[in-house]
Amino acid sequence: MKNLYWIGGIVAAGLLVGTGVRLMAHHAEAQAAPAPTTPAPQASLPPGAPLAGAVPGVSARADAGSTVPGVAAASSGQYQVGDHLQQSAAVTDKPYQASGKMVNGYQEIAWESLIPKDWDPMAPFKGLKLDQLTDDDPRADAALWKAKKYWKDAPVDASMEGKPVRLPGFVVSLDREGEALKEFLLVPYFGACIHVPPPPANQIIHVRSTKAIKNVRTMDAVWISGVIKVERSDSSMGASSYSMKAVSVEPYQAPDNG
Amino acid sequence: MKLLLRLAAKSAWNRRFTLGLMLLAIALSTTMLLGIERVRHEVRAGFSQSVSGTDLVVGARTSPIQLMLYAIFRIGGATNNMGWDSAQALARNPAVAWTIPISLGDSHRGFPVLATNGDYFTHFRYGGGQALRLAQGQPFAGVFDAVLGADVADKLHYKLGDVIILAHGMGGMGLTQHADKPFKVVGILARTGTPVDRTVHIGLDGMQAIHLDWEGGAPLPGVHIPAEFVKKFNLTPTSITAVLVGLKSRARVFALQRDIADGDGFKEPLMAVLPGVALDQLWDVVGIGENALLVVSGMVVVVGLAGLVAAILASLGERRRELAILRSVGARPLDVLLLLSIEGLGVMLAGVVTGLLLLSALVWALGPLLAQQFGIALQPAWPAAGELQLLLWTVLAGLFASLLPGLRAYRLSLSDGLTPKI
Repeated sequence: MKNLYWIGGIVAAGLLVGTGVRLMAHHAEAQAAPAPTTPAPQASLPPGAPLAGAVPGVSARADAGSTVPGVAAASSGQYQVGDHLQQSAAVTDKPYQASGKMVNGYQEIAWESLIPKDWDPMAPFKGLKLDQLTDDDPRADAALWKAKKYWKDAPVDASMEGKPVRLPGFVVSLDREGEALKEFLLVPYFGACIHVPPPPANQIIHVRSTKAIKNVRTMDAVWISGVIKVERSDSSMGASSYSMKAVSVEPYQAPDNG
Repeated sequence: MKLLLRLAAKSAWNRRFTLGLMLLAIALSTTMLLGIERVRHEVRAGFSQSVSGTDLVVGARTSPIQLMLYAIFRIGGATNNMGWDSAQALARNPAVAWTIPISLGDSHRGFPVLATNGDYFTHFRYGGGQALRLAQGQPFAGVFDAVLGADVADKLHYKLGDVIILAHGMGGMGLTQHADKPFKVVGILARTGTPVDRTVHIGLDGMQAIHLDWEGGAPLPGVHIPAEFVKKFNLTPTSITAVLVGLKSRARVFALQRDIADGDGFKEPLMAVLPGVALDQLWDVVGIGENALLVVSGMVVVVGLAGLVAAILASLGERRRELAILRSVGARPLDVLLLLSIEGLGVMLAGVVTGLLLLSALVWALGPLLAQQFGIALQPAWPAAGELQLLLWTVLAGLFASLLPGLRAYRLSLSDGLTPKI
């Protein structure tokens, strides 16, 4: 009789543990799952902005005011292609604006700060009145083709040289040492390397870390802090690029609202 | 407390056979748990060591993971080759600093043969940017020169000047041999701990030369071009398997990858893969299997623990008298509980330590075999932080499990043990 109690007790304990684990897993999932993900659909963009996503500057402006993609999902790792990371809690309707606050001597910047102020991404469309063109106009296509090259060779802002900055982005692994990551590219939006045209040279930071980073994989979101360096490449290639020796690489956490 | 320890030890010694079996079960499950963890770790480290400084791997369109597997790790085979003109177009691209063309498909006694050119020895990097180093001899210069990886030279006992015969295709024995055109070993590479060690390197012209009379798809009867005449022919390859690309600026990698994907300036559809990204994708795929293995080995540990609890619980029956006598001479119920917990914890600790020793012995004995067969270089080593954590959890679980029989013994009354049962 006593043995029966024991067996019953063990079974009950097993059930209890199992239920507990399931509850915990469920809870974690519920926390991770984005509550209201309202993706900003491409269709809702004004017809004049079919280029959103190709140049982050453009997409930022086009998206501002609409719902914020990626913000709700920020803590879960459930990013959609093209999602940016929210930088500051104060301006929730404009996720790409940096608060500019200093963290350990590194100033938080937005990806847009890496684009020179006097550079106009829409320059190839200058003189082209989109509203007056007929459909299937070859001039529109020609301009778009020219724009693609123009964006690809986007210049860097030389005044960024030597600035200690901090910004969030997505990792693209380059070199590992054992299991730890030593060198990677940081890009502003999710899926940058595979699904959408590559970001222009001034929206990629080539990061070498002083410390080995563990448990970071491609398309993980991180905050990096370090001093920006402008890499001048030979003239035949045109575009220069940014690099950084990161002093800290930490998992991305959405700024808490408040 | 000291007395309790001594009592526990003596009592355990008295039942050494049963407890010894339990210890063995726990040791084996620990070995399995740690072994899986260590192999997983080594495989990952080995893979990421194999390539460094290469920005893009370019080849015919296939899965990125597969391209990486055969171009870098020599696992599996190429589904398609790419044209030599594409490789040259790639080398001329202004963003490209260097290219290493590679051609695979033949083998020598199970070791893959890689045809490349001199750029391989200048530009190829592994494990955090180390360059390849020749332990003996020099890179290939003539058409029929070969440079061996360290493992190939060791296993097959080759030295400089030896003559080797390559076989057509990959696989074991019984393949068609390129016996008419033997290669001479001119160099042996220093050990790298990467797939390079298991590779026979020849020149692209050598690869072309041994297949000159194979143009019909197989050696046709009556068609034979002797080795001394191959120089009369154009030995420029028509197609290669893949190209490793290094860029002047790593930040340009997406732009070039896009150009290649769009087919800008190439006659054929090609694919460019970032090695780091492809490896991450590979781990995503492999990770599922790895986790399943870990869960299974975790269950084995649980089964071992259940066995331990069962053994101690069963021994309570035998020990009714023993425990009752202890109680009658003044042991408190708490002492009895401690006695049994100490026994459980002791068996657990001894089992885990034995498991560790067993793993080290296995690694020491079977390590070379693993390295040869699967290219997994396991070394006897102290448990890493992650492994120690696993061990700690195992021991803690053991402690809690042994509380169960302890509690039962705690509740047994003094009279229960002393009243003879009919």
